[in-house]
Amino acid sequence: MRNKEVFFLLPILLLLSCSDDDVQQELTTELNLTFDHHVGGEDLELSGQIYEKNAGEHFRIDTLKYIISNIELQLTNGDTFKYPVEESYFVINEKDPSSLSIDLEDIPADNYDKIRFGFGIDQSNYPLNGVDNFVPTAEENGMLWSWSAGYKFLKLEGEYGNSIAEVEQKFLYHVGSHGENLDNYKVVELDLGETLRLDQDGQSIRLDMDVLKIFNAVHAFEIAEKDDIQVDPVNAPKIAENMKNSFQVDAIVQASE
Amino acid sequence: MLRYWSYIAILMTLISCSGDEYAVVEDLDENKELEVPQPAYFPELTYDINENPPTEKGFELGKKLFYDGKLSSSGVISCGFCHMQEFAFTHHTHRVSHGVGGALGTRNAQPLHNLAYKKSFNWDGAAAHLDAHFIIPITTEVEMNEEIGNVLEKLKDDPSYQEMFNAAFEDGQIDTKNLFDALAQFLVMMVSAETKYDRVVHQGTAEFTAEEQAGKALFDSKCSSCHSGELFTNQQYMNNGLPINPQYDDKGRGRVTGNPDDDYTFQVPSLRNIEFTLPYMHDGRFDTLEEVLDFYDSGVEETPNISQEMYNENNVPGIPLTEEEKEKIIAFLKTLSDVDLTLDERFSEF
Repeated sequence: MRNKEVFFLLPILLLLSCSDDDVQQELTTELNLTFDHHVGGEDLELSGQIYEKNAGEHFRIDTLKYIISNIELQLTNGDTFKYPVEESYFVINEKDPSSLSIDLEDIPADNYDKIRFGFGIDQSNYPLNGVDNFVPTAEENGMLWSWSAGYKFLKLEGEYGNSIAEVEQKFLYHVGSHGENLDNYKVVELDLGETLRLDQDGQSIRLDMDVLKIFNAVHAFEIAEKDDIQVDPVNAPKIAENMKNSFQVDAIVQASE
Repeated sequence: MLRYWSYIAILMTLISCSGDEYAVVEDLDENKELEVPQPAYFPELTYDINENPPTEKGFELGKKLFYDGKLSSSGVISCGFCHMQEFAFTHHTHRVSHGVGGALGTRNAQPLHNLAYKKSFNWDGAAAHLDAHFIIPITTEVEMNEEIGNVLEKLKDDPSYQEMFNAAFEDGQIDTKNLFDALAQFLVMMVSAETKYDRVVHQGTAEFTAEEQAGKALFDSKCSSCHSGELFTNQQYMNNGLPINPQYDDKGRGRVTGNPDDDYTFQVPSLRNIEFTLPYMHDGRFDTLEEVLDFYDSGVEETPNISQEMYNENNVPGIPLTEEEKEKIIAFLKTLSDVDLTLDERFSEF
């Protein structure tokens, strides 16, 4: 009899003991994010191709890097799935193809209609607080301002000029938050267009980023007016605003294995 | 049969919990938490010690890291190289601090004490959090000139560090977070409040001399609007009218915020242990407190963004002081010296 009581009690204990461990029986799957960079209708090609932008300026891009963070997916029922914050910091670097494709794991198999991610690093995690271990990655990619203990959210560098033949003047945009004084973190929210049904592995969201919009989305920039924008409380927030508006979802595809 | 299932159930219950509560109890036995001293009259702690509670092992690890040249590219410049304990953790005799390969910085190393009460760090406030500060000296070319990633690799190659990280942190990882947490645990314990000033004003166990008392009255009326409170700083960024050194043209906080209104402003320093922390000003241009007071008396210049506090009643920049007044103020400032801090073996390299 005594044994029988123990027998019935223990499974309950077992459940209780694990109640805060978030043991979930639901199915999870993988999701790939791919970042494609365009200049208007053309593919971005670094250090060669010359493009035309607003104000009749011509330019070439040598470096395009930016930090994304805080990836979230919105379910069709309005709930949000947050990817673990400490694992959702990435440097997207046009020069490094492996950085353009991000594999996310353990996503609940469900239906989603929006994706959100941060441009840069938000103040609650700035510059550290739980994401300290992103420091070496940012460092390797030259996305750290050593003298200010902060991250560069965007590094856009190249040459510009008034005509194709004149593209030789260097320009440089480095955008980050300025300590606690100026927060240039932005949340990018994109409709997936169609419902993303995550019930199998191998799905991929292809994200497009249009470099022209960094120069001209909400705010129009003439590079010649200021070709070195770094710690700049006037221009950096405008570039961040443009960045926020430079992404769109191209397609949801079956990723190639 | 029943008994058999019961055993399995017991076993499963134990396994399911093995990573949680039991481990904590064990850690408490082995790695005691340390208490950050909090004098009743100090401001609120700014460092969240609940996020990173100092422990014996974490402190010990932080101390080893603080004095280890491995944190620099040359292997010989440690944090303690520029922050020397006998001078309240400043770089004594060096106007601007020296880094790897004899490189010269542009600023004088700031003292390390009461950091758990500081709102922002560095002369220009470039680090809003103590843990973030470490990136600056480690990676700056003219300081330790190293990459955080390389530091971690070097520490991983050293078995004694693996052991110490294991003892100090639950996950035992040699990573950026634990590296910074350990350094912070060491530093937040450096609380300086054992001075004659504290004994006179807060503990009632000593008395000022007549000169010190007169110095305090002068200080209160002429200096304490900026060097305010129990840390003797309002923790603001201000321009005290120091002539601009064309060699550096250091814009101070302006570089951090990009705001021209912040150009030439610097952190108002704490005056605790000021006797030990020579040379003075952000670029270490003055060797003595006499020179500092001479500057306030007659050397203040109307540089961009000079603080309104620097104007005297005749609307002229400067704080007029007689020689006698200067001596009295200095006598008072010397009551802010905490000899214990400079000798405390817990913080000593050897």
